[in-house]
Amino acid sequence: MSDNAKSVTIIMIEDDEGHARLIEKNIRRAGVNNQIVPFANGTDALAFLFGPNGSGEVSSGRSLLILLDLNLPDMTGIEILEKVKANPHTRLTPVVVLTTTDDAREIQRCYDLGANVYITKPVNYDGFANAIRQLGLFFSVMQVPETT
Amino acid sequence: MPLSRSSFLLRTLSLLLLGLIALAGVVVTNVWLVQRTQDYVTEVTELRRLRAAGVDLRSRLQDAETGQRGFLITDDPNYLQPYNDALANLAGYMDRLTKAAEAMPELRPRIEQLAGIINARLDELRQTVELAQQDQRQAAIGIVRSDRGKSLMDQARLILQEVVSAAEDRLGRLGRAQAESANALWWVSVVGGIIVVAITLAGLLTILSYLRQLAVTRQEVEALNVNLEERVRERTAELGRANEEIQRFAYIVTHDLRAPLVNIMGFTAELEQGVTTLQSFVADAGERETGPEYEAAKLAAQEELPEALGFIRSSTRKMDGLINAILKLSREGRRVLKPEPINLSALLENAVAAVAHQVADAEGEVSVDVRVPKLVSDRLSLEQIVGNLLDNAVKYRRRDVPLRIKLQAVARPGGLVNITIEDNGRGIDARDHERIFELFRRSGQQDQPGEGIGLSHVRAMARNLGGDITLNSTFGQGSVFTLVLPAQLRATTRSMAA
Repeated sequence: MSDNAKSVTIIMIEDDEGHARLIEKNIRRAGVNNQIVPFANGTDALAFLFGPNGSGEVSSGRSLLILLDLNLPDMTGIEILEKVKANPHTRLTPVVVLTTTDDAREIQRCYDLGANVYITKPVNYDGFANAIRQLGLFFSVMQVPETT
Repeated sequence: MPLSRSSFLLRTLSLLLLGLIALAGVVVTNVWLVQRTQDYVTEVTELRRLRAAGVDLRSRLQDAETGQRGFLITDDPNYLQPYNDALANLAGYMDRLTKAAEAMPELRPRIEQLAGIINARLDELRQTVELAQQDQRQAAIGIVRSDRGKSLMDQARLILQEVVSAAEDRLGRLGRAQAESANALWWVSVVGGIIVVAITLAGLLTILSYLRQLAVTRQEVEALNVNLEERVRERTAELGRANEEIQRFAYIVTHDLRAPLVNIMGFTAELEQGVTTLQSFVADAGERETGPEYEAAKLAAQEELPEALGFIRSSTRKMDGLINAILKLSREGRRVLKPEPINLSALLENAVAAVAHQVADAEGEVSVDVRVPKLVSDRLSLEQIVGNLLDNAVKYRRRDVPLRIKLQAVARPGGLVNITIEDNGRGIDARDHERIFELFRRSGQQDQPGEGIGLSHVRAMARNLGGDITLNSTFGQGSVFTLVLPAQLRATTRSMAA
């Protein structure tokens, strides 16, 4: 695990506490020890990512990775994805979309908007755990570019 | 005024009848009046004849007298000419008068009296003329001077005058009666004409108002028709919206149900891991611990907890299957159909090829008979429907007889295509014929895996294609599924179904 990877902060935007806990557990099990910052709604997450003035300058210099659920109480994950990919300070931040939807059109939409990975939360838990663990491995080898 | 068809008929018919009666009245009255006029004319002619006969007779009498006087004065036989002529004709004139007087029988006694007077007068005349011819003029003049002849002549004149004036009186009365009758004729004609015209007008008005009413009604019907089309469009749009609403509802529900299910499954896995840890601890502790508490803990860790977790897991898996089925149906409803020309023969052969292996295992045989020139429909839906039905035919075959499946496609009037899939399988109980098309419902012996989704999915797809599917089956002998599809899938079909 490189120093660079260690400095990456994982932003988890997930309103379901159970899902958040399961994701965290499985990431840890995969041996990823990066800091995880959870948000249960879109508003708080956007405030963290783009700062109080909404410019996104607060994120310049941060190394972030976003885990994004599409069903949020106050907005859809798609909106957050659009904002992240449209802002010059955050557009290089990798976004992993994690949701129950396996609708082909929705998946395509996320990729069109610039999502890096799309993972369906399967009810088959073994599959889910596997996916998360692989995601952990993926994190561990990934070079997350430092945003400017 | 609103007129019903029957009251219109009644009214026009009664008006016609009234008109006919009025017309008949006018005609009958006219005929009667004309007859009467003819009678008048006949009578007038007779009376004129009577009057003329009277006047003629008087002239002849005077002629006779004039001749006699001339002869007596001159003794020239030439003057006797009028006397002779009158004498020769008088009987005829008298006859004419008697005959003409038949028109007025009341005159008869006077006429008879007249005849006597005339005869007497003629005798006197003849006597004087004969005396004169025998050169006894003085004697003849003496007879004349006796005034007997004059008195007879005065009587005759009086009677004749009576006859003539009676005839003239009667003629005058007749003239007045005739004028009255002509007047009556005029009135009857005018009044009758007015009545007929009035009735005709009333009939015309009735017919006109009925026609106007018909026109208004037709306009209303046309307006209603336009309205109806509008309403059908509105209802169709409403149905479409309602359907979309249901689809969206199903979609949202399935997603929202899935989120907690992910948690249940996830934490069940966590519990399983915990139980594994617990089991190894209990196994290790067996060397140190004894007693009822340890036994209870051991039982819980090794049997009760794994059993409970097993039920939770199988139940959630089943629930996931059901949610997926609903999701699949809702997605099928949202899928955009792509109508394209389909070679039905090739499509059915492909579907048969897909189950060829299982059919061969069952020592089965499949026949395909396509008699449909062309079909435009959504290929994917059709493939799924046929595949599903073939799978069922193979799955629910009877083990004791070789499997026989017959696929048939025929064109039907009205631009429809019938595709039948017939098997000799276990068949379906009559009371389940409708039920098996419902979601999560199955029929017969439950020895095959499945969730009761296939046929409901098939029916949803068939209806999406603008068609339907029906079943005809005898329990224990086989089933025939009949798929009816429009030969041309139109875009509108979709908008109705969606």
